[in-house]
Amino acid sequence: MSRFNLALRLLWRDSRTGELTILILALVIAVTSSTAIALFSDRMKRTMTNQTAEFLAADLVIESPAPVPAEWLAKAMKLDLAQARTADFSSVLIEHDELLLAGIKAVSAAYPLRGFLKTTTGDYLTETITRNGPEKGTAWVEKRILPALKLNLGDPLTVGEKQLTISNIISYEPDKKGDFYSFSPRVMINDADLQATGIVQPGSHVHYFFQFTGEPKALAEFKRWLKPQLNPSQRILDINEDRPELGSALERAERYLGLSSIAVILISGVAIAMATRRYTERHFNATALLRCLGCKQNEILWLYSSQFVVLGLVASAVGCLLGWFAQEALFHLLRGLLPQQIASPGLLAVFFGFIIGMAVLLGFALPPLLRLKQVSPLRVLRRELEPLPSSAWLIYGLSLGIIGILIWKYTGDLKMTASILGTGLMTLLALGLLIYGLLNLTRKLLPSMSLTWRFGLQGLFRNSRASVSQILAFSLTLVAMVLSFTVRTDLIDNWQNQLPNNAPNHFALNIFPAQRAAFQQELQLQHITGSQFFPVVRGRLVEINHTPVQQIVSKDTQGENATHRELSLTWTKELPEENKIVAGSWWNNQQAGLVSVEQKLAESLKIKLGDLLKFTVGSQQINATVTSIRKLRWDTMKPNFYMIFSPGTLDAYPSTFITSFYLPEPQKNMLNTLVKKYPGTTILEVDFILQQFKTILAQLTQAINYLLYFALMAGFAVLFAAVYATLDNRIYEGALMRTLGANRSLLRKTHIIEFSMLGLISGLLAVVISEAIIYALYTQVMDMEYRPSLYLWAVIPCTGALFVGMAGCWGVRHVLNKSSLRILREQY
Amino acid sequence: MQTQVNQTSNNIIVTENLGKSVVTSEGTLHILSSIDLIIKSGESIAIVGESGSGKSTLISLLAGLDTPSTGSISINGKQLTSMNEDGRAALRNELIGFVFQSFQLLHSLTALENVMLPLELSGDKHAKAAATALLHRVGLSHRLTHTPKQLSGGEQQRVALARAFVTKPAILFADEPTGNLDSKTGATIVDLLFELNLENHTTLILVTHDHTLAARCQRTIQLDSGCMV
Ligand SMILES: Nc1ncnc2c1ncn2[C@@H]1O[C@H](COP(=O)(O)OP(=O)(O)O)[C@@H](O)[C@H]1O
Ligand SMILES: [Mg+2]
Repeated sequence: MSRFNLALRLLWRDSRTGELTILILALVIAVTSSTAIALFSDRMKRTMTNQTAEFLAADLVIESPAPVPAEWLAKAMKLDLAQARTADFSSVLIEHDELLLAGIKAVSAAYPLRGFLKTTTGDYLTETITRNGPEKGTAWVEKRILPALKLNLGDPLTVGEKQLTISNIISYEPDKKGDFYSFSPRVMINDADLQATGIVQPGSHVHYFFQFTGEPKALAEFKRWLKPQLNPSQRILDINEDRPELGSALERAERYLGLSSIAVILISGVAIAMATRRYTERHFNATALLRCLGCKQNEILWLYSSQFVVLGLVASAVGCLLGWFAQEALFHLLRGLLPQQIASPGLLAVFFGFIIGMAVLLGFALPPLLRLKQVSPLRVLRRELEPLPSSAWLIYGLSLGIIGILIWKYTGDLKMTASILGTGLMTLLALGLLIYGLLNLTRKLLPSMSLTWRFGLQGLFRNSRASVSQILAFSLTLVAMVLSFTVRTDLIDNWQNQLPNNAPNHFALNIFPAQRAAFQQELQLQHITGSQFFPVVRGRLVEINHTPVQQIVSKDTQGENATHRELSLTWTKELPEENKIVAGSWWNNQQAGLVSVEQKLAESLKIKLGDLLKFTVGSQQINATVTSIRKLRWDTMKPNFYMIFSPGTLDAYPSTFITSFYLPEPQKNMLNTLVKKYPGTTILEVDFILQQFKTILAQLTQAINYLLYFALMAGFAVLFAAVYATLDNRIYEGALMRTLGANRSLLRKTHIIEFSMLGLISGLLAVVISEAIIYALYTQVMDMEYRPSLYLWAVIPCTGALFVGMAGCWGVRHVLNKSSLRILREQY
Repeated sequence: MQTQVNQTSNNIIVTENLGKSVVTSEGTLHILSSIDLIIKSGESIAIVGESGSGKSTLISLLAGLDTPSTGSISINGKQLTSMNEDGRAALRNELIGFVFQSFQLLHSLTALENVMLPLELSGDKHAKAAATALLHRVGLSHRLTHTPKQLSGGEQQRVALARAFVTKPAILFADEPTGNLDSKTGATIVDLLFELNLENHTTLILVTHDHTLAARCQRTIQLDSGCMV
């Protein structure tokens, strides 16, 4: 116990003299940022998942043509999942001698589990948000139903055999399916009235959606349990699969957050390693004395590691607390942007920050600390005896191990982690050698330089081992910062390009060929910008190279989804914009019978160039040869197609047209005109979804900006840790030089030269590495286009030289100010 | 703490053919060779010789801070040469005290804590009382809570003396204890050293340049280029 007291006392005294300041600071920064990031991204993710889950009206949905077994629902109940059910089917409504095919949706009381419904009783302007569907005996209808069937609010409406009262106009439902062509006006009724309609009978065409929400763990378990039991006509929907455009934005943001978090941890780790190194070196004498007084090696290790454990616990606790506040502050800052309902912070994330703190301390501080164990007691008599440096394997192995675990945690991909680490290690090795080479080369030039330069540069060579590690530390730090910054900028640009302000926010479907020209003119007349008009023929893919597709597709894939329903087939002469050929070539001549397939679908169905695809359109069949594979961006809000045919292939089949256009809010009235003029045409409003999507992106952008500050702070910690790492030596040498007659200005200049050179070399190396990493990252992980940035080559080395130079001069200012006699005495 | 001195033999340190050599870039350097010594319990011995003659090396071997290249050392009947580093550490804690030319106090601890240190390391429950008493004995009872930086050289060395004697060691090694002090302060430290030595019946092994100081010891060993003369 008294040993522990001793450890505590030493720790307390050391921290009071400022011996541990940088170490504590670096640790607190690491923990603060990783806690804040973990908390923030956890909350953000759950908030966004909640938000995006609105698109499904739930977290997880089972789509099935028949009610699912009762035991499934029982299982969900046991897992504490909330449940709701909708049944979708088409039915012909007849009122006042008018006929209309409507999409009926019967919803249970709990619907929607996520998101909300919007209803109105009059015009577009007074919308009410509700969290429940229609009551028993009532029906909500889409606005266009009323004129079409000559009905008014409050009138009776007969669905099947059941008479209901129209109580509301429904203007928004969260889980409206984006399958535009089967789109018929909505009638929403209560599940309790479903039986009474008499429509649902064995063999009738009903889509049931069983919806669930709950804890992610429970959902995951439910999904795992469910999957093997699904029959071919059933499938599970979740956000990532059902809304690819949001899924990819989320995924990228998550990866970025993870990456930055690792960068901050890595930078702080470097600071911790350097600060611990200095701490260790400053404790050689004390350790030698303790050894001389009879402390065993393990006792020494215990003495110091218990100090570090206590330090780690305290700093991590402080960091967690600060992280908590930082995260709260961030949410406060962003409150205008965020939805009202923010997911509560997860305690697990706080715990994670704590673990990170201890792990970083272990990974980066233990190796230098282990050196103390090797201090010879003989040092009390022979001061020049230094313990062997810790093995490089240990130093880099342990820290790489920790970083590796983190990368693995964020990517969840062992192979990728291994390759990142492997490359990292090789780069480090190559860099070390490169720096040695550079230093040696400069050393050759030394004799021909002026005194100031010689002294300055000699500072680098005197302890080339320390210089190499300092340069490595600076480079790594700069790299991490450059990465955070560049990726952020490109990510945000990428998003903004993806959804420009005038991205289409309405789709027009089912435009009859005869009306197409008039429709187009109407848009032009109102100065509304729209996309191309695509002809659409509905058809189903049935065979690939004479093999039925059902035998090819695997469960739960895009391919499966695509073969389960009719696809929208189109044809065009020119390759639509935003589409990119990745294999084969686009048709130049007018040869019919060719098809271009979307890349992901092709992968999923294992379609290759030259394959023969068979489609059924109505009762007829067509064959087409695959001549190209296309990559396209699903997130552009323009009509996108899995299958595009060469002109002449589909021309004989009845088709309608589709287009998308941007309609600014003030011109919204125009919709009424369009709907009246072209009653057969369906206008799909996606501006709400688009707005939601933009909000999410704005949130992400803010969060990402905020993260940079952490990286910046950690970077400064490294700067000072590195400067302090060799401070004692420099102060001593400076004092010696002054007693030998060197004046202050010479000393100042030598320091400026020495540190600026350190910064310059580090900056140069940093640019090389970051460009390499950015290239790999963009092409492999983030799925973005790589553009070399020339300005980095100028900015980073200069910034490095400037900042390191300034910090260095600030750090060694004592050399110039303190009495040299005192320094020389203290040193002894 | 009670020191267990071997009763059958009165010889506390015995060395045979003790030698130390190191390999340097210019070949093997023989720092010490064929040192045969018998030191009796309670004896006081001065080791004198020019700078570089191997005095510090000799006491580092005798105190088990370093290992010899040839020969053997037994302390209190135990073979030092057959012990590992941890064994020697235990032995140092139990039997040996040190005073250094450069004081070697821990800067982050107070005078009192510095003196308590060796007792705390051996798990002594009454460290504080014993340390306070000894600091009183060396005339520093009013400086207990001062850190080394607040003490003069002479005061620091007195703290070091208190630290050396607080464990009541059987053997005390002092390597030029006055080397960093002016002659007047040095003299008071030496007086204090011999007084404490007498009170505690400690075996004293003292390295010094100073012949008057050496004369106060019962025996003098002269080293020249690593050999006893
Ligand atoms: N590990 C070592 N490597 C090289 N030379 C050493 C080593 N240890 C001691 N020496 C040399 O041995 C000689 C004796 O040193 P030391 O015992 O410190 O002398 P003293 O204390 O008498 O001045 C010196 O010349 C010293 O440089
Ligand atoms: Mg000496």
